[in-house]
Amino acid sequence: MKISINWISDYVDLSGIETDELVKRFNLSTAEIEGVEYKGKNVQNVVFGKVLSVENHPESNHLHILKVDVGDEVLQIVCGAPNVREGMVTAVCKVGGSVIAGKIKVGKLVGVESYGMCCAEDELGIGADDTGIMDILEPVKIGQDIKEVWPIDDVVLEIDNKSLTNRPDLWGHYGLAREFAAIFDRPLKKMPVADLTAYDKLPEVKVSIETENCFRYSSVCVEEVNAKKSPREMAIRLNYAGMRDINLLADLTNYVMLDLGLPMHAFDNKVVKGINVLSSDGETVMTTLEGEEHKPPKGATLICDETREPVAIAGVKGGLKSGISDDTNSVLFEAAVFDCENIRKTSRTIGLITDSSQRYEKSLDPELTPVALSRIVYLLQEIDKGAKVSSRLSDCYKKKYDKITIDLDPNFIGKIAGADISKEFIVKTLKALEFGVEEKGDILKVSVPTFRATKDVSIKEDLVEEVARLYGYDNIVPKPLAFDCAPQKLIQSIEYEYDVKLMLAEKYGANEIHSYLWNYEEFNKQNKIDTKSYVHLLDSSNAGQSGIRSELLPTLIRCLDENKNNYEDVKVFEIGRVVSGLAEDGNVIEDKKLAVLFASQNKTELELFEEMKKAIVDISRNIIGVDIALEPGETVSYMHPVNSFRIKSRIADYGYMGVLHPVVKKSIDKRFNVVMLEVDFVKLAESPCYARKIKAVSKYQAVEIDYNILCDSNLKYIELTKLLSKFKSKIMSGYELVDIYENKEVLGDKKSVTLRFNLASFDHTLTGEEIEKFRADFEEYIKRVGLEIRG
Amino acid sequence: MELEVINSVEKEYDEDSAKVQNLNELESLRLKYLGKKGLITDIMAKFREVPAEQKREFGQKVNALKNKIEASVEEIKANLAQKAVDEEIKNTKEFDYSLPVDTKTGSLNPRTIIQKQVVDIFKNMGFIVEDGAEVETEYNNFESVNVPKNHPARDMQDTFWLDNGQLLKTQTSAAQNRILRDYGPECKVIFPGRVFRNEQLDARHENTFFQLEGVVVGKNVTVANLIYFEKEMLKALFKKDIEVRLRPGFFPFTEPSYELDAKCPFCNGRGCHTCGNSGWLELCPCGMIHPNVLRMGGIDPEEYNGFAFGMGFDRLVMIRTGLDDIRHLNSNNLKVMSQFKTKM
Repeated sequence: MKISINWISDYVDLSGIETDELVKRFNLSTAEIEGVEYKGKNVQNVVFGKVLSVENHPESNHLHILKVDVGDEVLQIVCGAPNVREGMVTAVCKVGGSVIAGKIKVGKLVGVESYGMCCAEDELGIGADDTGIMDILEPVKIGQDIKEVWPIDDVVLEIDNKSLTNRPDLWGHYGLAREFAAIFDRPLKKMPVADLTAYDKLPEVKVSIETENCFRYSSVCVEEVNAKKSPREMAIRLNYAGMRDINLLADLTNYVMLDLGLPMHAFDNKVVKGINVLSSDGETVMTTLEGEEHKPPKGATLICDETREPVAIAGVKGGLKSGISDDTNSVLFEAAVFDCENIRKTSRTIGLITDSSQRYEKSLDPELTPVALSRIVYLLQEIDKGAKVSSRLSDCYKKKYDKITIDLDPNFIGKIAGADISKEFIVKTLKALEFGVEEKGDILKVSVPTFRATKDVSIKEDLVEEVARLYGYDNIVPKPLAFDCAPQKLIQSIEYEYDVKLMLAEKYGANEIHSYLWNYEEFNKQNKIDTKSYVHLLDSSNAGQSGIRSELLPTLIRCLDENKNNYEDVKVFEIGRVVSGLAEDGNVIEDKKLAVLFASQNKTELELFEEMKKAIVDISRNIIGVDIALEPGETVSYMHPVNSFRIKSRIADYGYMGVLHPVVKKSIDKRFNVVMLEVDFVKLAESPCYARKIKAVSKYQAVEIDYNILCDSNLKYIELTKLLSKFKSKIMSGYELVDIYENKEVLGDKKSVTLRFNLASFDHTLTGEEIEKFRADFEEYIKRVGLEIRG
Repeated sequence: MELEVINSVEKEYDEDSAKVQNLNELESLRLKYLGKKGLITDIMAKFREVPAEQKREFGQKVNALKNKIEASVEEIKANLAQKAVDEEIKNTKEFDYSLPVDTKTGSLNPRTIIQKQVVDIFKNMGFIVEDGAEVETEYNNFESVNVPKNHPARDMQDTFWLDNGQLLKTQTSAAQNRILRDYGPECKVIFPGRVFRNEQLDARHENTFFQLEGVVVGKNVTVANLIYFEKEMLKALFKKDIEVRLRPGFFPFTEPSYELDAKCPFCNGRGCHTCGNSGWLELCPCGMIHPNVLRMGGIDPEEYNGFAFGMGFDRLVMIRTGLDDIRHLNSNNLKVMSQFKTKM
């Protein structure tokens, strides 16, 4: 929202305060100022001029050569405006002066010299009209600088609307002036209004409200309005505040809105003679002032005339046929307050967000409606002395807000702020903000002004804010918190998350990605990846991305797909959340998963598999402290039916790991071998780290013996260990796998497994005989279990 | 006569030894003079023939010569060794120490790196680190943090609604109610998380981004405590003293509410690209926890109070790395994402 300091200055004297200080204090005490514009800074040496003659330019069919009287001289100016005419008074920027676009120099337009420029409103920044040069009808003195007459110099502050969400009172200049007055401790002036009680004898406007969503509807009629155009000062203010001037009556409603924050509406009293405020049936179609058709939703509030014909969408937009035209000379002014949610819903549904709806959404104060009418009548009669009030103030007040009084212990403010704030300061500040303050013993009875009582201020904490922001947060001295040395709880699945990511990145060279929470249905379908979505977004900006993911791997496969042309090896992982089902109450079951994908054009599937197994064992054993193993078992449909396995520990099943299904692989890119895993990260990370005991080490010389055991090439290592588990020897402390050799030409369907046996005794150095006995026993055992030792 | 022999051998040795170039020649030299059949042995053999009165002098001279030659051979040996090393060093080719290396390290999403740094600071300050779901109930996301139905604040956050009536959490505050119940009334907890807003994407807007939120609840917690805490936290984060300022803000879950700005640590408030020339970075929305939020979290606001604060990780990442398009953070673009490695 844009606010004019000239306008603010109508209500509070800000003289002597630098703009920087105004901005700084307002920022710190009230709301964020996003920008400062120095209006009129670029408008220099522009004077009123009278066009004495207009000649056609010999070389151009749209340019004219003018002789313009600017008081002390007559200038030759070449002008392209279509509306130029002899005798016209306009604004002339003299050579050496400037307009918004820049400095004016002596120019030559198609061969003819020009000593100045006739200006359009928009070129001076004081209006939106760019159709021609200014046609000044009001009496002015030729040669006088326009800035001496018109308030062109102004400072316009742009306030962040978001920071005013909870402050309906700050959507107009008067409310803002109240803030400035409180901030700088200066008196707030009364707003000049007309006394409408003088018209109590006049007939009233018939108003009936048939909806709960209209809290108050006030109106007054004025006739014999002859002025059509707003005075320049008002037009400039409207333009500076981001609106444009249209005609006097429409401008007045906007002006009062920008004054008080309460939107107003003006109906042509010849068209609209009485008011019915109704609730829409959802079928009614309205044509707005701009000529657009809208069908407000059922329950939307409609302003209808005495025949129940809709004439405005309440709080949002006026209708076309009842609107003010240039012929209107009798008018019905509306000042009303509607339910904020109702207006918000209507405006969102029909997609029409207006200056009016934005304000109504903030919960406006119904007490403002008669004030707004008195104000608009005052302004109208100031401009058009002949305008006559033709009705009494008609008021239909359906719903009043409760009066809010807060009992405040003045110490409470300082206690929450953490600063010593005196009672005197509290009382003074609250009064400046127009709160009522009554001292009752140690307690202050604070009554909230109606314009703050619609939802903004209701509890004593709200008063802390009111006082503390004006006390100045920069005056509060930071204080440390009380000391506490109790150790805090550590949650394993959170603690280990970073460690796991770091290990995957540093040791295994993988890249972490963050993917969206939804599935890519098209991609998954194309590549035959079958994955579920238990819940869907109701409204997704992208079609086919509404299903919430139930696993991470499909998005990692998509990541491979997106990078396959840039890399020969792709290693990615993600720790992320998925919805893995619905609970009985219909709410989702959410899990945090870890998924890893290794893909390579250079490595075999087996090599990738070994590497990934190493990674997950490493994570489990060395970060979390749990030993895991792979076991055959069902996994997911896009994994290889043979080479995919469950990842388990002795206590739990965490997930699965395996090779990408050949069908999906071909669909993505057959050059890449792909291995991947997905585990329940919380389950894995919360696994208890089981205690490891030190294994005793013999102080006598140990002996290592390697055996190449020949076995069926399909025999799994775990099966081999089972076969060997029955072999007993007092001197054998264990064995480890050294190598596996497979070669069809040499070994046929067999493979050679090299195991290294560790022999030692705890009480003596092994003798040759003992070692020989071990050999003989072992070789004998191997034969007995149907295996062979290879030389 | 015999003494002259000694002199001439010495002279011969001096000439021979000057010519030695390598270890082989040195060995020949040694053998010629000191070997079993060497010249020194020859001279010794003549001892018997030396007249008695000269024997003493002769003996001394021969020994002196023998010692001199032995020492000389050792010295030449050492010199040759030195020469060889010098030669080797002289002939060594200098490495190209400037070649790039590839540590084969993968990468973390920069948010993870920032999150770790920030979370560590909070842990050092004694905070519990918590977590929260991404799919939330309407109650947790809105009602329980004082955003009733139809509150305009719900407009500030366009919500992704789900077909089961739940929603994707629009703010980390969605975890606040549970955390207050789990840890309150006296606690210090942070809960980073991913949040979602249904809005159009552009270089500065994402529908999926990361925030951190924290609460401190206790007895007699004040705004002065909040300012102190934020200052200390930002000091640790930016590794320098940071001037902060509070501005009034509006969040339904706090009262009073603030926007906390930090004097831009990159330009010290002079105005730069990072702070949009304002000299201030809007970093942490914060405030004193609204009594309704405490009450709904099972905490008596008459006895306890506290503050809550938030922080956007994505913005910190952009500030830190110069990343100019927020969308990269959710992208699969490894060319961009792998640049960050694991530290920044």
